[in-house]
Amino acid sequence: MPVDPLGGLNDVLRGVEKLGRDLIGQPRIRLAVTGLTRAGKTVFITSLVANLLAAGRGRRTLPLFEAAAGGRLRSVRLVPSASEALPRFDVEAHLAALAADPPAWPGRTDDLSTLELTLELDRPGAFGGMLGSLIGSRTVTLELLDYPGEWLLDLPMLDQDYAAWSAETLRRLRRGERAASVRDFLAWVEALPAGATADESLARRGHALYRDALRECRDGLGFRFLQPGRVLNPGPRGETPLLWFFPLPYPSGGGLASLMAQRHAAYVAAQRAEFFEPFFRRFDRQAVLVDVLGALHAGQAAFEDTAEALAAIAAALRYGGGWWDWLVGAGVARVAFAATKADHVPGRQRDALAALLGTLVAAPQGRAAEAGVATSVHALASLRCTEDAVATLDGRPVAAVRGTLLATGQSAKVYPGEIPLRPPEPGFWEHGFFEMPEFQPPKLDAAGGSGVPHLGLDALLAALIGDLL
Amino acid sequence: MSDAPKGPRIIVEDAAVAPRLDFQWEQAVVPVAAPKVPSRWSGLGRAAAGAAVLGLGLAALDATNFVIDQFGRGPVQGWATAGVVVAGFGLLASGAWREVRGLFSIRAVERARAAFAREDLPAARAEALRWAGGVAEAASLQPALRQAGSTGELRALLEGGPLLVLDAQAVALGRAAAVQSFAVTAVSPSPGLDALVFTWRGVRLVRQVAALHGLRPGLLGTMALLRRTLLDAATVAATDVAVDAAARALLSNKLLEQFAGEAAAGAVAARRMLRLSKVAAEACRIVPPTP
Repeated sequence: MPVDPLGGLNDVLRGVEKLGRDLIGQPRIRLAVTGLTRAGKTVFITSLVANLLAAGRGRRTLPLFEAAAGGRLRSVRLVPSASEALPRFDVEAHLAALAADPPAWPGRTDDLSTLELTLELDRPGAFGGMLGSLIGSRTVTLELLDYPGEWLLDLPMLDQDYAAWSAETLRRLRRGERAASVRDFLAWVEALPAGATADESLARRGHALYRDALRECRDGLGFRFLQPGRVLNPGPRGETPLLWFFPLPYPSGGGLASLMAQRHAAYVAAQRAEFFEPFFRRFDRQAVLVDVLGALHAGQAAFEDTAEALAAIAAALRYGGGWWDWLVGAGVARVAFAATKADHVPGRQRDALAALLGTLVAAPQGRAAEAGVATSVHALASLRCTEDAVATLDGRPVAAVRGTLLATGQSAKVYPGEIPLRPPEPGFWEHGFFEMPEFQPPKLDAAGGSGVPHLGLDALLAALIGDLL
Repeated sequence: MSDAPKGPRIIVEDAAVAPRLDFQWEQAVVPVAAPKVPSRWSGLGRAAAGAAVLGLGLAALDATNFVIDQFGRGPVQGWATAGVVVAGFGLLASGAWREVRGLFSIRAVERARAAFAREDLPAARAEALRWAGGVAEAASLQPALRQAGSTGELRALLEGGPLLVLDAQAVALGRAAAVQSFAVTAVSPSPGLDALVFTWRGVRLVRQVAALHGLRPGLLGTMALLRRTLLDAATVAATDVAVDAAARALLSNKLLEQFAGEAAAGAVAARRMLRLSKVAAEACRIVPPTP
């Protein structure tokens, strides 16, 4: 049962609207694309939109999805803008940048943007044609949202007070002590007296050290569970005093601790009102994108950190399954977990990549399954940039991938190492940190008339929304 | 797995700058046309074609023989007969040619709609320009149509200008036809005559609306257009059907029937005529209907 009575009323109204739309065959689906930083959300949405639009024009870009639709997909179009306050997700600009010479991958997302697509289908069944001629064809509206991945990690903060958050954050930060800036922050914060006063210069100094530590954890160590998200990605408004807080070893009491607790509470309230309530309180389908390969190559600590972040996000999301959700028709029907950048491993290792993701997301998957949600695990490349090849290493042929390097424009074969089927043994990490090079996107039509090459996007869409078609 | 090389590696193949990978994606996703079912002539179709070949062929042979015979009687008779035969067959051929052109003009609407539906800008623009060239209301729009950068823009230009004017003109034509059908059915002595008048006026209305849209349908073209109009009429929104049912219920209730007599049936016919003009205009538009 929701705590907020207005939220509850909202749930009821939305439930009635959903029921009405389902009855007349015009469902509206909010697809939550969740993923940690650099998981590939922007490219995923770009590819999804471009390939769906092309499929609506009769191109065979998504064969498994079209099979799930039973060949009834008639057209797909973008819903024109109305008077939304949020920026519109710019598919054309992203496609043009990917197709340009030299090409550019979308930069770090620093603000929210939305887009809606309408899929028009013939009605199913023997009398579908007759019914369609009377009440119109079936339309499925997909709502998509792109946002900075860093902000998603604020979700577990919603139910924590400052003291609990401080203790947990410091515990996780100590795992990153091999970074100099993390050591600097920890040394500084642990040297603070328990009764430090609420001095502005102290607060600013602590925040600056904490921000540097988080940045190095993200960019240097490949960590993802870094809070608060807006410190790393403040958004279009830039840094505000609301962000000037950091964890303390003695979080209770007055002075500095009290100031930090106030700012923490204000930050959580703002994120709840501006980001989570409008966009994550209620959604119908969820695609969870995970850069498994990146986490694997970043080392044991980063890999475990990713698993912990995913579990924390899943624990904070509302999957439904309770009596109230059942009553108002809320809750998620399907969740698809996808290991992105699957084109960075050769074909025969993609099953292993999906299996490894399966073990990584076992906790969120279990939680979703408990609420009666259908889940599936996929290996996905939203935009395929490589082809399978054979490389010779230490005199032996090994399966590799070939692509054009983004930085130098040279053709290179990459052997990604053996992908374990389950979380690897300690010996696996001996090879140390490896950063997968960025590849150039393949030759693309800037207008996106034929969609973009992908791996597994059709299977993921069929699993996620195939039942609605 | 155990004897596989440890850890990932990057092997640069060539120091030179390589071209981008090309998966030939555009070719790979080209729609595959559904296999065409070979069309077979029905028994009735074959019989009708046989009768037409016999009728026309034997008539041509007879006419040729007759001309030759007439030349045997004298050059004046021969040339006069040849002139009559050529004029007669020429008129028949020009009539047939006009029918075929009329039919093709209807097909052009289909082509334009298909181009809009698949968002094929060059084809849609060419069809829009061809159409605008033949419709006075759209002639001034041609420079803007040439500049259009998307099918959405083309559609907005057409729907915001000439199609709006043509729709209004179609409604005016429908209103005139409705008044005439109302008057005729209100005074006609038999229901059979009502049906005849309604059918004749309906066909004439469809041809008038088609002419507004630059189409000159002959008999075959009109039949094709009627078939499409009827098909579109079946997909008219449920609200329209409800309004029609309400008009029928209101105008055919017992009290009103006593008061208005046969005029009630005429009002229903008039209402149908108005709807026919709307649906015919919809069927003649070169842009597909907005869902």
